[in-house]
Amino acid sequence: MFDFLVRRLLALIPVLFVVLVIVFSLVRFIPGDPAITLLGPGATESQVAALREQLNLDAPLLQQFLEYLTGLLQGDMGQSLKSGKPVADEILARLPATLEISVLAVLIAIVIGIPIGVLSATRPNSLFDHLVRVTSLVGVSIPAFLLALLLQLVFATWLGLLPVSGRMSAYLFVEPVTGFALVDAWLSGETGAVRSVLAHLVLPTSVLAAFLAATLGRFVRTTMLEVMTEDYIRTARAKGMTWNTVIYGHALQNSLLPAITVVGLKFAEMLGGAILTETIFAWPGIGRFMFEAIRNRDYPVIQGTTLVFALLFMLTSVIVDIIHAMLDPRVRSKIR
Amino acid sequence: MKFRHILINALVTSCLAVGAANSQEASTLVVAVPSDPRGLEPGTNRAWPIGSEIILNVFDTLVAWTPPEFSELEGRLAESWTISDDGKTFNFVLRDGVMFHDGTPFDAASVKFSFERTMELNAYVKATLGLIESIDVNSPTELTITLSRPYPAFMSILAQPQSAIVSPSAVAEHGEDFTNNPVGTGPFKFRDYQADTRVVLDANPDYFRGPPGLSRLIYSIIPEASTRRLELENGGIDVIQQAGQLAAVPLEEMAAFAENPDIQILESPSQIIRQLEFNNSHPDSPFNDVRVRRAVAHAIDYDGLLAGIFGGTASRVYGPLTSNSWAFNPKIAEMAPSYDPEKAKALLAEAGVNPSDWNLKLYSFQGSLWGALCTFVQANLADVGIDVEIAQTEFPTYRALHTSGEHKIAMDGRQPWYNDPDAHITIGYYSGLADSAMTFRMPEDKELDDMVLAAQGEADMDKRRELYFEIQEQLVSRVPGAYLFSPKLIVFARSNVDGLVVNSAPPLNEYWSVTKN
Repeated sequence: MFDFLVRRLLALIPVLFVVLVIVFSLVRFIPGDPAITLLGPGATESQVAALREQLNLDAPLLQQFLEYLTGLLQGDMGQSLKSGKPVADEILARLPATLEISVLAVLIAIVIGIPIGVLSATRPNSLFDHLVRVTSLVGVSIPAFLLALLLQLVFATWLGLLPVSGRMSAYLFVEPVTGFALVDAWLSGETGAVRSVLAHLVLPTSVLAAFLAATLGRFVRTTMLEVMTEDYIRTARAKGMTWNTVIYGHALQNSLLPAITVVGLKFAEMLGGAILTETIFAWPGIGRFMFEAIRNRDYPVIQGTTLVFALLFMLTSVIVDIIHAMLDPRVRSKIR
Repeated sequence: MKFRHILINALVTSCLAVGAANSQEASTLVVAVPSDPRGLEPGTNRAWPIGSEIILNVFDTLVAWTPPEFSELEGRLAESWTISDDGKTFNFVLRDGVMFHDGTPFDAASVKFSFERTMELNAYVKATLGLIESIDVNSPTELTITLSRPYPAFMSILAQPQSAIVSPSAVAEHGEDFTNNPVGTGPFKFRDYQADTRVVLDANPDYFRGPPGLSRLIYSIIPEASTRRLELENGGIDVIQQAGQLAAVPLEEMAAFAENPDIQILESPSQIIRQLEFNNSHPDSPFNDVRVRRAVAHAIDYDGLLAGIFGGTASRVYGPLTSNSWAFNPKIAEMAPSYDPEKAKALLAEAGVNPSDWNLKLYSFQGSLWGALCTFVQANLADVGIDVEIAQTEFPTYRALHTSGEHKIAMDGRQPWYNDPDAHITIGYYSGLADSAMTFRMPEDKELDDMVLAAQGEADMDKRRELYFEIQEQLVSRVPGAYLFSPKLIVFARSNVDGLVVNSAPPLNEYWSVTKN
């Protein structure tokens, strides 16, 4: 297992390097100069030239790349062209916000998606099953921004139950210790802050969770239905095992394996792809940060965030493999 | 026992916190802005709207334009000033007894320090503060600035965020991190910044003009327009500020806010101009014939555009300066081409051109309002037989296309930051800048170029105004573009917000006089 892990982690390095080369050159192929974007419509050529020089955009591309790579090996991801702050600090300031909603959304999706998938599969073509199928179809197809706007309108404006956007009431102050608003609010000992953070979490996590729960529900239903027709299920039933033991002890365990892969992939996507949700809910996450950086042609930030996404994506897949190995003896024996 | 203790403690503190938050809310103003500020200190400021406004609330400049007319300068950190006859030497008497937020005194040496620091850090001010030849500290409250050549707009430059005065001791203490710890003399003190979330400023009770009416000012960063609107309607924020660009105010939003008794709409005329611009230096363009340019200018339904697309959020503009500029020549309003499609057709016929072979692309910025504007103009032009294809282009690409002069016709505009006609005339029409900025790409014309430079440097204000009057007449007769409209600066606020004045040049608001009832 240890060897497997080391091998998997070492394999990340060449992949990351390729990602880096591609991103480094791609961002420079997008037409438009960061200096121009940063200065805006009123700037003259001499101002643009001066800023280009200041930002080291004049140097040959290869030199820029080698400098970036050298910096990266020393843990320096460069400085944001827009803010002038270290990219690593900028990413670290925003990563907890994204992790916070992604992790919660995944948990909610698992808690909702898997049971409805199971219940639906064990009662095929019942009213419940039809309801689940229609709802999950809507959940999979509805665009995130539309769902977000609808939820804001209903729960914030009409019912007045939840806040429209943000991570916490603008009037409250909590010492940022971990960067996770919920943890920081809890550490501060102010229940008002905890309540405020929880209330602010509901809508964005619901939007993210809706899609995943729907996907997961449909997926678990299908795999369960397949598993239920397997011979060993019939044998188990014939041996006199109770329905619940068969479903939860045998069928569910086997149909969960592919579901774990789905959850892992979707979670990794969520870390980088929650741009719309983060924008609409004014959530200070990393997806929105990257989107802004692309608009501003903030090369070091685009490179840095892409690297972090790639890394998170690959780490998630390693973790999924480990979970697979833990649950599936066949995989475990192959690893050994 | 211990658990119970913690629980009681938590309950008590939370009640206290909520109580404190409620009394705090009453005097805290939350302003929604669309994106993170770029830098919170004058030294590196490059006229980005959001950071710049925060700078003007944390720092002070020597002078500022007096609201609500913004036609006269008033002293801020400068008590009075005199300008030499040759327009090169500026003598300032500074306010005594003003303190920076860190408790150190403001004096002439800090002004010298601030200007020299900004000149060193900021390539953006090369053409303006870069004209400073020397700064002499005569006494703690007296200062002389000498320019290398006369530049009458210099006082206007001193009202800009880049010219705000920083605390030398705070700069020494924080070094490059000063932008995260800005210290000035302004009505608000910097308290906290969270990336993509908010900037928090606390009132400065010792402010030299008197303590501000708010105890706290929060800039809340909300990128999505629909979210800002819901937040304002729900009372989660107090003010929505527009970025001053055309992307600002969708009409349906204006209509919804106008009917809402909890929301007030504050507006002020701006000095922004939007125009349909010809490439006046194109080697092979039908618009090289002034009759064709005039025909296009007559083809546009200016009043229809203001009513149909902008619904009262913009006003008419007749030439290279807006009518609220001190140098505006009223004669221009009569000279400007009016909507007359028949005349446009006659002019095209007289020029002997056939617009159907032109294959014109109308380039424009991105955004739905630019799109609506282009579509309106496209329909107007089609009425007189000119077909154009609309190409909305991302800004960096658009600028590259513009400065290389590949376009024949484009939508463009300028938002001047300093309150001086120089901000429109020199960059827009001086032929020497044609390849270096987004301009009208005027062909070289010694007479006009000399006049533009003379007006820029003329120290006698009456003579200067005369020069700008003449320049405006010259320009309008050459029809370098069709001047379309000037958008108003619009701020939406909850109705309990009092005393907010919308500034026009620079379009940055001060919150010292604002209260919340």
